[in-house]
Amino acid sequence: MGVLRQKYREISRIEGIGDNVKNNRVIFLAIFIMLLTLGPVAFAHHGNANYDTSKSITVKGVVTGFEFINPHVLIHWDAKDDSGTAQKWQGELTSPNRLTRVGWTKSSIKPSDTISISGYPAKSGSNEIWIQKVVLGSGEELPMGGGN
Amino acid sequence: MRNRLGMFLLAGIAAVPLSSALPAQTTQRPGPAKPATASAPAPEHDLSGVWNMHSTPAQRKYTGNTYTAEPPEMTPWGSQAYTANKPSNGPRTHSLKETDDPVLKQCLPPGTPRIYLQPFPFQIVQIPKEILMFYEYDHTVRQIFMDGRAHPSDATPTYMGHSIGKWEGDTLVVDTVGFNDKTWLDRDGHPHSDQLHVTERFHRLDRDTLQIDITMEDPKALAKPWKTQLNFQLKPDWDIMELACTDNGAFEDFEK
Repeated sequence: MGVLRQKYREISRIEGIGDNVKNNRVIFLAIFIMLLTLGPVAFAHHGNANYDTSKSITVKGVVTGFEFINPHVLIHWDAKDDSGTAQKWQGELTSPNRLTRVGWTKSSIKPSDTISISGYPAKSGSNEIWIQKVVLGSGEELPMGGGN
Repeated sequence: MRNRLGMFLLAGIAAVPLSSALPAQTTQRPGPAKPATASAPAPEHDLSGVWNMHSTPAQRKYTGNTYTAEPPEMTPWGSQAYTANKPSNGPRTHSLKETDDPVLKQCLPPGTPRIYLQPFPFQIVQIPKEILMFYEYDHTVRQIFMDGRAHPSDATPTYMGHSIGKWEGDTLVVDTVGFNDKTWLDRDGHPHSDQLHVTERFHRLDRDTLQIDITMEDPKALAKPWKTQLNFQLKPDWDIMELACTDNGAFEDFEK
């Protein structure tokens, strides 16, 4: 248990949730501009009933799984909440077809990558995000959209 | 990738003053969404290629789920069926568990012209006898017969209908009947009956721009013909990819 806690502390340092307000503001501004001008990155096949599109959250952590599958690409990752407890998160993107057309591949994200994911939270309060932005640990931001 | 994103963001920022300076556009019939660079002239009687919907900012507000900013005029039967339907896309959104969208819940073919609202490209292939429309969404195919035949008088009802086409000047006019009544007209839950009649006018404005004027008529569901214009952009570097509807079922369990 102690080993796990230590591991999560390390993850927490990488995550740095909320400790860089200026950077968060820049991210928020960038997301705001994208939403203002282009609207949300569309789902391929279903609507947004499950998500609160009036809010945007950013959750940083370590990737545990990446599924480049139809109809929606999925990312799974571990992150810590405010109390330091480890939480499992999952998020969905648009279709692999649309992401392929802006440069993604099935290897764009790998398990153990550090990652920062922003998007709309689930209305149910579960740890799910409709992903609008992905920034890898290297600082590279993956392109969104996909053709329309 | 970063450069592309930068251009994407810049284009988005540039669109703000442009869209706010032209409020009249939202009230007028949307014009063709032409690419920024000049395009070569359209080849004659040739629509071959991969096409992707390219909406103007005004169109983008509704083309994710329907055809026009204003709702169509429906018959009482049409209004009742529309109210009862539970779409997933659009303003009346329902979760995947709750929706009764026949495309999402049963993987039925989307029908004509709803297939254009599925947000994926389609390819036009021309051979002497017919024009093939090969839609990425669930590899849906339409045959537009160009050999002068008429619709069969007793056409078997189908999802995509029976289509015949002819050239009127530089416009391909496609007439489609013979539908079943199992699908919706759009992703917002507007119904249709087996009396649906769809007319599509394909006009290639230049090499890169295709305009489709669509008229939907259905005496049982629509009080007046429902007309729209959709714009598409040529994607010379794209191929049609696989997209199997049968994968959708897994997502009912994903969202909690």
